[in-house]
Amino acid sequence: MQQALKRYDAALLRAVGGKLFKPRSQWPVDELIARSLAAINNVAVVDRRLRESEQASRRLLAVIGHSRQPRWRVGNLVEALQMLGEDDGVRPILDLLHAGLLYPELPAGASRLRDFKQWLAHAGTAAPVVFAHPAVTARAVGEKLGLPALIADHGSLVAREADGLEWPLRIAVLWQRVKDVPLRRTQQGDFFKRDWERLTADGLLNAPLADGFAELPDLPWLLASLAEIEGALRSAETELQEASLPSSWQEGLLPALESLWAALPWLDGWGPQHGRRIGPDAGSANPYPSAYLLSLLLLSQLPDGAWAEPAAIAKWIEERHPYWNTKPQALAVGAISPSRETTGPSANSGLDVFLLGVAHQLRLVEVGNAADGQCLVRLTAVGRWLLGIGDPPPLPQGFPQTLLVQPNLEIVAYRQGLTPGLIADLSQLAAWKSLGPACTLQLQPETVYGALQSGQTFETIRQTLERHAVRELPAAVIDSLRTWSNKRERIAVYPSGTLFEFATPEDLNEALARRLPLTRLADRWAVAAGDSQIDFRHFRLTGTRDYALPPERCVEVGEDGVTLSVDLARSDLLVESELQRFAELAGGTNLNGRRQYRLTPTSLTAARDSGVTVRALDDWFMQRAGQPLSAAGRLLLTGGLLPAAEARRQLVLHVPTPDFADGLLQWPGTRGLILARLGPTALAIAEENVEALRKVLQTFGVGISG
Amino acid sequence: MDKARIPVKLHRRVCLVQTEDAVLAEELLARKKLAQDIVGRLTDRVLLVRPGRSDAVIQELQSMGHTPSVVASP
Repeated sequence: MQQALKRYDAALLRAVGGKLFKPRSQWPVDELIARSLAAINNVAVVDRRLRESEQASRRLLAVIGHSRQPRWRVGNLVEALQMLGEDDGVRPILDLLHAGLLYPELPAGASRLRDFKQWLAHAGTAAPVVFAHPAVTARAVGEKLGLPALIADHGSLVAREADGLEWPLRIAVLWQRVKDVPLRRTQQGDFFKRDWERLTADGLLNAPLADGFAELPDLPWLLASLAEIEGALRSAETELQEASLPSSWQEGLLPALESLWAALPWLDGWGPQHGRRIGPDAGSANPYPSAYLLSLLLLSQLPDGAWAEPAAIAKWIEERHPYWNTKPQALAVGAISPSRETTGPSANSGLDVFLLGVAHQLRLVEVGNAADGQCLVRLTAVGRWLLGIGDPPPLPQGFPQTLLVQPNLEIVAYRQGLTPGLIADLSQLAAWKSLGPACTLQLQPETVYGALQSGQTFETIRQTLERHAVRELPAAVIDSLRTWSNKRERIAVYPSGTLFEFATPEDLNEALARRLPLTRLADRWAVAAGDSQIDFRHFRLTGTRDYALPPERCVEVGEDGVTLSVDLARSDLLVESELQRFAELAGGTNLNGRRQYRLTPTSLTAARDSGVTVRALDDWFMQRAGQPLSAAGRLLLTGGLLPAAEARRQLVLHVPTPDFADGLLQWPGTRGLILARLGPTALAIAEENVEALRKVLQTFGVGISG
Repeated sequence: MDKARIPVKLHRRVCLVQTEDAVLAEELLARKKLAQDIVGRLTDRVLLVRPGRSDAVIQELQSMGHTPSVVASP
């Protein structure tokens, strides 16, 4: 709320503050925001402002309060108001925005808000969203909504109430499936065909709902959408990956159901009539958030003990909701026009399926079977509490001991003792095999490994099972758990660790004595999982090397071409490992912070035999020394592969200048008498050509001595 | 900070495999596919993995039947 108010233009903020708490003087902006926050938390002020508001505005806040979801799309609120009989659904929203009782959700980077109407009109393609403070909506709950009581007269019926565990159980199963293999998404938001087929073919995900009265279309899609809203799955680029099962599950059944109930207004990917909803307008043209809420608010109007027909509830909404009712409605502003059925006047909303399927399993409604076989519904105590019109119901205490752990590593979980928290715990360490009155799970190395990886230990796993087991854990199960745990402790991988190289063992001991979170690897080496937990004020860094960056130049090649000196301040761990493949440590000496290696015939022959090529070495030297392999090194590496060298006697003609030698090699009269040029002024000649050369040179006055 | 600073050389974002004993390290090095990604041995129980190959090493360890503990910063 504070963030939203900070985005208001000063004039707008003054206008809103003026209505909300009626300031007596010209306060600065920060003071206005602080006093607005204080006013919202002041029950007397809120009640006064509500009394001053019009009935439609109070009803709107009450509707938001009943939903337990403070964030709503404006379009859905307009729909709700129209169903409540307000022809102009936008005006009450604008009134509440001006009164400081409702706030716009502004995108990051947007300019300061000057005018609410303008914001609604220019919200672009994204459907505008508003939110209300729970302290305000809580005071508005109780406002008469003017809804009828659609009583169905069918005498007394036996009520059947779900246990509320169906959605947590199925989300847990889906979470395990996605943990094994993430779900890939297309650009349109659909799943890849193979992934969708995998979900639809999954017997456990698609098994009939326990105590089910309706068949829900595209059930895996509903589960994926719910799981994503609940945070159990998360979108990562083009994939849907597993995240953490909701923390609300650990708080008990009611918080878990409350969280699921609050998720419904944002359930855009699925509808009870056609199942999955895909496409850019799945959210902006989703009529169900308002329809779901109104259907339950209609049930809240029933007197105690009365039932309603789901079809009658659906019909009432279809006749008034602008999506299904084709009667022209008062037009809304810009992008917030309510959703509308575009495929024709199909009046079937599927809300009866929602009530008998989704809401029943959420424990919002209980179902009674009439004599004619028709299913009737009414709110449960949980439903009344979730809608904010009843106290939290006392739930029957479950059976803490509800697991039968068998020697074959199968766990039977009796449903009456399950809780969302236990479902989450079990999902971490065993694979769900069947759902029903008695669910079964299987302990597997992979699942236990996953639990250990998520931070559990052998002891915590054992305690979880022992706390809920009806009898002592079989020895075979404990042995397996211990074996798997021990096996995991045999190898530790640090994928991106920070390695500390101390100058002396005493330095490492000193660091550990200071309780730094390091793990000792050797007398001078210690490792940490990362460097975010390290207090670097304890250290003086003599060098830093980042292994995600390209290798650094840290080797100098001596004049002899075979002595390699490593600059220890700039070197990394890899360089010495790499050097050992083709060079020998020269006496292990450290000279001025340098360590020397030497290329030797033995080291290079061994390198060549192990597959090191000239090109690979050239690349290495370019990276590490900034020059290719030296000639001496090349000689030692490849000399043995070349033809044998030849030793022979030759007559050498020494001439006075290089130009003289050039002339002899160029002039046709002497060129054929020279064997080779040995140097700038040295030429090799054959003994039999000496006399011929002497004669030719004499023709222009040059003699040959010797 | 009144204590003396400890001189240290830092190697950041290094991939290491630490084994329970030296024999297990030898066993890992004997695995050809794994050995390709091991560039050195820091100690008899600590192997240095080629940069960027940590996922491949973990996968290979798992395919060998090991269940390595992956120690990553939170």
